[in-house]
Amino acid sequence: MDHNRYKVLLIEDESNIRNFVKTILHAKDYQVILADSCQQGILMYNSHLPDLVILDLGLPDRDGLEFIRHIRKTDVTPVLVLSARTTEEDKIKALDLGANDYVTKPFGTGELLARVRAALRSCQISRDAALPDGKFQLLDLTIDYNRRLVTVGGNEVNLTPTEYNILDYLSQNSGKVLTYSAIIKQIWGFDDAGSVKKLQVNMANLRKKLGAKPGAENYIVNELGVGYRMNDTSA
Amino acid sequence: MKKAKKTICDGCFTVLVLVSAFFLNLLLDYWFDTITLVPMIFVLGVFLVSLKTQHFFWGIASSFVSVLLVNYAFTYPYFGIDLVSPECIVSALIMLAVAIMTGTLTMQIRKTEQMKAEIEKESMRANLLRAISHDLRTPLTAVYGSCSAIIENYDSLEKADQIKLLYGIQQDAQWLIRMVENLLSVTRIDGEKVLVKKTPTVLEEFIDTVLLKFKKRCPDVSVITDIPDTFVSIPMDAMLMEQVLINILENAVYHAKGMTQLRLTVVLKDNQACFSISDNGCGIDKDILPNLFTGYLDRHSESSDSSRSNMGIGLSVCAAIVRAHGSKITAANQKSGGAVFQFSLETEAEDGSQPI
Repeated sequence: MDHNRYKVLLIEDESNIRNFVKTILHAKDYQVILADSCQQGILMYNSHLPDLVILDLGLPDRDGLEFIRHIRKTDVTPVLVLSARTTEEDKIKALDLGANDYVTKPFGTGELLARVRAALRSCQISRDAALPDGKFQLLDLTIDYNRRLVTVGGNEVNLTPTEYNILDYLSQNSGKVLTYSAIIKQIWGFDDAGSVKKLQVNMANLRKKLGAKPGAENYIVNELGVGYRMNDTSA
Repeated sequence: MKKAKKTICDGCFTVLVLVSAFFLNLLLDYWFDTITLVPMIFVLGVFLVSLKTQHFFWGIASSFVSVLLVNYAFTYPYFGIDLVSPECIVSALIMLAVAIMTGTLTMQIRKTEQMKAEIEKESMRANLLRAISHDLRTPLTAVYGSCSAIIENYDSLEKADQIKLLYGIQQDAQWLIRMVENLLSVTRIDGEKVLVKKTPTVLEEFIDTVLLKFKKRCPDVSVITDIPDTFVSIPMDAMLMEQVLINILENAVYHAKGMTQLRLTVVLKDNQACFSISDNGCGIDKDILPNLFTGYLDRHSESSDSSRSNMGIGLSVCAAIVRAHGSKITAANQKSGGAVFQFSLETEAEDGSQPI
């Protein structure tokens, strides 16, 4: 078997979508395993142990969320969710269950491939635990975890402890969408009524300090109503 | 909750009408020394109550009270009750008849009005559906035809021609996606019953998301943005509001000929965030300006299917979404040329929460 190729498990019941996703993944040299139901997906997952799962939530036999719940009991394999234009709650539910990211239908090929790359990389980073020199680098932004030092284009940025903790957490999970409640639990340890507002205010300050401009390529992407995502290191 | 409030309101109104009728009668009696007007005034009072209140009960109650009041103050024995005289019973019956008849009439009128509105809404929806299905058929035909052409002539078609056909399919599919997105929004708003779910949204994050999405669709057009520097949170349905801004921005790209500058500004005024999107293109035709947000159906019926554009329905959807947020969208031509679209949303009240 070719070990340079990533194995991707695609669970989707629409044969047309399955076909086109398979084609573009094949074209990029990924090895694709197909499944058209939740049951078959779990079976395929156990026998092939893929590097990444692309999962449609609306499956004929069971809810796709069941699949995430099942594999998250034991594994950290990244899961990329394909969702129809649904409400934020569905996305949040999938993310909180352990999905890494979601792509909303209809999606373009470029978008899907970028998410696939990001999900695969993010899992590598967490596997390596600490980066070689304990640093995170994204465009001009550098985070030195050992010295708790953040610089943009070589200039030091003064962050409050809370702001640093948020940035730290986001960067450790770069490429992955973190829901509001996940961030809040990590930073403050508890979740109450005013927490989201508190987080949003902190994020606004953080953006300002990092020099973000609306509509530009920023370090942190807003997922409205869902959460935040640190852009991938080599996007 | 609302019902209880309504009942209290009706009760107060009834009491007010009866009390004023009583005192008016006392005054008239004092001035003209005649009581011929008394029954008339009470009948008028009962009529008013039946007309204005929501429930039969108030009309009937007020007719009884009126009879008692007349009996008590304006008939012999003055300021004493005498319920057995035939005069009293007859007047009570007449009052009751007035109350019941008025009540029934008002009910009927209300019902007809409601039905009329329902019918109007239904026919609006039917027209919209017809118009949209018509609009959807054109690109679908093109997609279907192009695909068949490629499949059937795969070996004989030049590669360049194939790419051209495929490109057309892609374009049409994108147009269909936009259209369907708008339709989904329409079903969520649907007339007066609003399924808008407002969540506090940070203005800066909202604008950022809109701009990124717009950039993906129209990579060559840059938007000049000017938003307040402060932390502003606006309760809104972000997904729907996104659609409003994207629709307007895209309209500018497709319809404002000669546009070189597209501008999105948000200004804070009291507790309102005023959004305005302006361009320096050709402006909006004066003839369609008054019906810009409702004119989709009118324009559609007269034009042939040659002019396929997302504009009409897009703007109707914008207007509906903004209305569902309790505001109104306006369009105008600027003096300096180009069009400007404006609407404002209420910002979240400052609760003084400080970042920790």
